[in-house]
Amino acid sequence: MTFTELVRALVEDAFWSGIAAMGFAMLFNVPQRVLIACVAAGAVGHAVRTLMMEYFGMTIAPATLAGATAVGFMGYFFAHYYEVPSAVFTVSGAIPMVPGVFAYRTMIYAIRITSADTAIAQQALLDASVNGIQTALILAGIAVGIAAPSLLFERHKPVV
Amino acid sequence: MNKPSYVNGEKMTLSRSELRDIVDLALWAGQMLLRCGAESQRVEETVHRLGTGLGCDWIDILVSPNVLIITTTSGEEFRTKVRRVVQMGVDMAVVAAVNDLKFRLEAGELDRFSLRAELERIDNLPQQYNRWLVVGMVGLACASFSRLFDGDWAVFGVTLVAASLAMTVRQELGRRHFNSFLLVIATAFVAGLIASLATVWHLSDQPQTALAASVLLLVPGVPLINAMEDLIKGHMVTGIVRAIVGGLISLSIALGLLLAMSLMGVSGL
Repeated sequence: MTFTELVRALVEDAFWSGIAAMGFAMLFNVPQRVLIACVAAGAVGHAVRTLMMEYFGMTIAPATLAGATAVGFMGYFFAHYYEVPSAVFTVSGAIPMVPGVFAYRTMIYAIRITSADTAIAQQALLDASVNGIQTALILAGIAVGIAAPSLLFERHKPVV
Repeated sequence: MNKPSYVNGEKMTLSRSELRDIVDLALWAGQMLLRCGAESQRVEETVHRLGTGLGCDWIDILVSPNVLIITTTSGEEFRTKVRRVVQMGVDMAVVAAVNDLKFRLEAGELDRFSLRAELERIDNLPQQYNRWLVVGMVGLACASFSRLFDGDWAVFGVTLVAASLAMTVRQELGRRHFNSFLLVIATAFVAGLIASLATVWHLSDQPQTALAASVLLLVPGVPLINAMEDLIKGHMVTGIVRAIVGGLISLSIALGLLLAMSLMGVSGL
């Protein structure tokens, strides 16, 4: 893939994930003045993940960790800039990376395990496990990534 | 100006009625945070800082998935109160507004009485986005997902229609206080019915993408992200409960979709 192709693919990726983040940010009723920052977090996070997967050949879970870390740091910065909790940005920014399709496939295969045909049921069990583990790992990547700034910088003695 | 009063560097001891007022305010703030989708750490920290900012020596919080228990302490006196919290959708405007109160309180801009008035105001905040705008944008968001999954423009259009209609159904059922899992099943069913048309009418080469993308508006992103964040930060019980809620919602999506797919005779994979 040439450099220009890569840039084009990433810009397109960022555009669509930005729109996805905007839809969900509005669903979550984020304050209007920070909506654009949520869109930016969603666009950059997903584009970083795509870059890691397409260009650096990472698998989806570590690439998600990288993308979510970008979202986490953007959220940390925006939280200070707008004086709004970082969760506003990180949650809507992470939404485009949430493994909805993996969770969906896990459940579809899990229901297919009830099939009367043993071969189909066994294959479904395998597919459900693979997709389920992927879902869990991607989610863990998102959570560690968006929590990274607070885990690194806010290490005070617990107040409570 | 209204900072807690100090005598010889020690906080003044509060009376029982003052403590009662503070436990009430702290519970109210905590309840709003938990109800609107804040993670346990934020609930705990905000409630603690509100309570100590109002003059308590110490305040302890038990955050459980649907109950908050708070004890306020001042001198030798303490008071405890329990409040049930019902989780309802995510509302980041409320989370941001309650979070802001703790800074204003610590800056001395608020006292017990103005804090109550502020909480009252936040509790009645209107929705910022028109509901039809949300319907359209959520539909567009799901359609964008179909682009990210390499769907073509036909899939984009079908997903846009399916997800927008599903979002309308979700809002209508939500207003009528249906059971949340039933609501998800019904919404996924509607999304699945319409998205199946891409397969039935042979609109695209990969019509399954429409099925997967049009139900993404239901994906329990916030419960699942909060679950993992709670688990990382040591709030095991809330984390586990939220993960199970997220799993059950995913299962409900699959059930609704399967119903629609078997009715339309299409395969989702």
